[in-house]
Amino acid sequence: MDITFVLLNAVVIASIYGLIAVAVSITWSSLGLINLGYGFVFSFAGYGAWLMSTYVTKMPAPVMAAGILAGAICGVIICLVVFIPLHDKSNFTTRGMVGTLAISLLGSQALLMNFGPRAKALPEFFGTGSVNLGGIVLTADRIGIVVCATVMLCFVVFWMKGSRRGLEIRAMMMNPHAASIVGIGIRKTGIYVMAITGGMAGLAAVLLSQTYYVAPFSGLTPLIKGVSIALCGGLGSVQGAIIAAVILGFTEAATSSLLGGQYVLITQFLVIICILIFRPRGISGLLDKAREQ
Amino acid sequence: MSDFQRQATQWVNPLSVWGTAEGVDVVQTVTSPNPRDTWDANEAYKAKIHKVGRFRWHLVWPNHGENLWKRWRWWPTRRNVLGIHGLYNRKTLKAEKKIDDRRPIYWLICLLIIAIAPVLFPTGMENTLLSAGAIFCIFAAINVCWTLVVGTASIFSLATYAVVGVSAFMTTWLSMRYGLPWYSLPVFGSAIGLLMGWLIAFPALRLDGFYYALLTLGLNELCRVFFTTSKAFGSASGGLYGADTYIPSDLSPFAQSIFGYYGAFALLLAALFLFRFVNGKRLGRILRMAPEKREAFAQACGVDYRSARVKIFLITSAALGFIGGFYVAQYRGVAFSIFSFDTVLLGLAMLTIGGIGKAEGAILGTLVVTFLDKVLIGIGPLRYFLIGLLMLGVVLFLNKGYFGIKKQFNAWRDKKRGEWRSIRSEKGGEALPEEATELDNKDELFFRRFDKMQRDHLKKMICPEIIEEHRLRPLGQHSEALERVLYYFRRAPMEDKYALHHIAATDRYKIIAFSGERGVSPRVVEDKEYEHVDDAYHAIFMRRIHDLMES
Repeated sequence: MDITFVLLNAVVIASIYGLIAVAVSITWSSLGLINLGYGFVFSFAGYGAWLMSTYVTKMPAPVMAAGILAGAICGVIICLVVFIPLHDKSNFTTRGMVGTLAISLLGSQALLMNFGPRAKALPEFFGTGSVNLGGIVLTADRIGIVVCATVMLCFVVFWMKGSRRGLEIRAMMMNPHAASIVGIGIRKTGIYVMAITGGMAGLAAVLLSQTYYVAPFSGLTPLIKGVSIALCGGLGSVQGAIIAAVILGFTEAATSSLLGGQYVLITQFLVIICILIFRPRGISGLLDKAREQ
Repeated sequence: MSDFQRQATQWVNPLSVWGTAEGVDVVQTVTSPNPRDTWDANEAYKAKIHKVGRFRWHLVWPNHGENLWKRWRWWPTRRNVLGIHGLYNRKTLKAEKKIDDRRPIYWLICLLIIAIAPVLFPTGMENTLLSAGAIFCIFAAINVCWTLVVGTASIFSLATYAVVGVSAFMTTWLSMRYGLPWYSLPVFGSAIGLLMGWLIAFPALRLDGFYYALLTLGLNELCRVFFTTSKAFGSASGGLYGADTYIPSDLSPFAQSIFGYYGAFALLLAALFLFRFVNGKRLGRILRMAPEKREAFAQACGVDYRSARVKIFLITSAALGFIGGFYVAQYRGVAFSIFSFDTVLLGLAMLTIGGIGKAEGAILGTLVVTFLDKVLIGIGPLRYFLIGLLMLGVVLFLNKGYFGIKKQFNAWRDKKRGEWRSIRSEKGGEALPEEATELDNKDELFFRRFDKMQRDHLKKMICPEIIEEHRLRPLGQHSEALERVLYYFRRAPMEDKYALHHIAATDRYKIIAFSGERGVSPRVVEDKEYEHVDDAYHAIFMRRIHDLMES
């Protein structure tokens, strides 16, 4: 039970759940949509990757790409069905949330009907090798997970900072009305946002299925963890989500090694509630009144 | 201009039998259009119109002035059972009675139907329907309480089923461990619910709506994991069973089902009374003053909305705990599925389908979802598909669920009415409806309408033939069409009326326009000077025709 092991676990968990948390966070801050359909996006992407690995090739890169692509497609579907018809209607926040829940109910049942309740396993991408770094054993899949998640996150952050689409998304985050006045199409931006966040959830699904399996309802736990992390970091803040992911990842790793697995959620929620009582908008929640529609 | 076909004709001066000054009896001219066509075109509606009025079958109660104040009242208060007011029909002048709010009648009918439902169940399905009915009543009670939290207190909590579940598990455990009798279970349940509500009300004071929703979603998951993994609560058996029950075990299974059904129905009635007395009384009214996003205004008026919200939350949590204890007393225990995400999802579907914030919405939604979920169990997972589709459809097309349809439809109809009205109303001399109500002299309105019609008709008459006729002979007897046009021009008001100015020095003519005000000199319209007076007359005529066609 040494501290490096705990820290290592914390980083791995944080990198996967951080992806979903950042996705939830970006969607909320730019579109004002609380997307509880990421659970479905997660399973959909997992099945996309599984189909690729079963019928086409088992090579890591195409399987991972298939997962990301499936996630992006699923995100765009949610955008087309829920966001675009609803975004200018009254009571959008509640209706959007219930709508994404309905999609997730429909989608999970469709997956259950198509693929059956049995869980599917994805091939191991990163081999079984391990690296010994000064007494710390790093297995290949852990390194792979952390590297992939970091690369994806960096790509998204740089894309948001550097590209024209990213500029549009950031403008929507600051003030959706002003953005639409200067000619940034809310619907078009919605599709970009949902595609990129869906892709992130897809990657998270592929990475997490290195440890767990792909099943119709497997997206629920990652969704709840992602949402809690996004909440704790402050909805709408990427760096807040990353900080919260690290804190909660550390809590989870420490609890499961010190107290036992069944106390993980309890300690996590105590931590979240403590943080939220002192900072009701999360660790770095900047959006105080900006997102009030 | 118009599709009127002109034909050459002769106009015979009807006065020529007495002789005319210039000896012109006959003028070559063209036929002019029928003024009746212009009249009809102006009178007709351009938009499609429909028959309007009250429905023939609309039920109207006759009334008499003496009877108006003979009403049912809630003894010993003077509150009316039904809100009724008397009015006189504006057309028939008969006294009528109108019920302001018919919902109490509908409530009574629906509750009566639920009460006698076991008699109406088709044979062969009684057991399924009775157990589904009991579940419906319990879930409807839970959802009515949830409506109090989400609708009245506007705290978007998703931990309702968690409160019920925790209370149910704890009371089952207490009953099994210490042998508590069934009648104490709801009481202990409400104590546990109150405690639980007190714990989760803390974050609600600090967090905004959707932060709280997501947090409570997590809390629900936390409860699920805690109870599923802990050994004391029967982690292996899928639930905890073995508590004391109020249903006598010496009854036949069918009688037990009936007993359970009516027990659950009583619970539903109790929940509805709670809703009525929280939502309709002081706390509910305080919070109606402080809807979401307008709290600051309410606070400035001295409404302490925070403490009202927390009070409602605590009352509801105690009620939910009571329901948890009752659930245990009915089913002898509880399964882990009460904490599952699907339960929250189905619960949210129930609230959404009926409309969030209304007790009737919660009950209708529960009825629909329970029917799909428990009675149509034969169609397999397809029923979740149906529920999902229903939920999605309601969210996409209805603003406030089923019970918001009427309001939404009326708003839509008003919008359409406005659009149709704007199609019908025309400009161009006629008054706009808004303006018409503000004009005192209504003659003015009729004159404008007539004037517009006349101009429409004159526009049709103008053609190259009459212009040519005028150019040849500006004065004297003309054909009918030209004469009518000229009469109209001559009758124009003095303001901006064209006239000729004779320049004596050069013996030429210039077009001027009168100011219409005494003492204010006319203005010069154009610099062109005319040598002959007939050319000047024709120039004025052309100007007037131009102005007419422009109007």
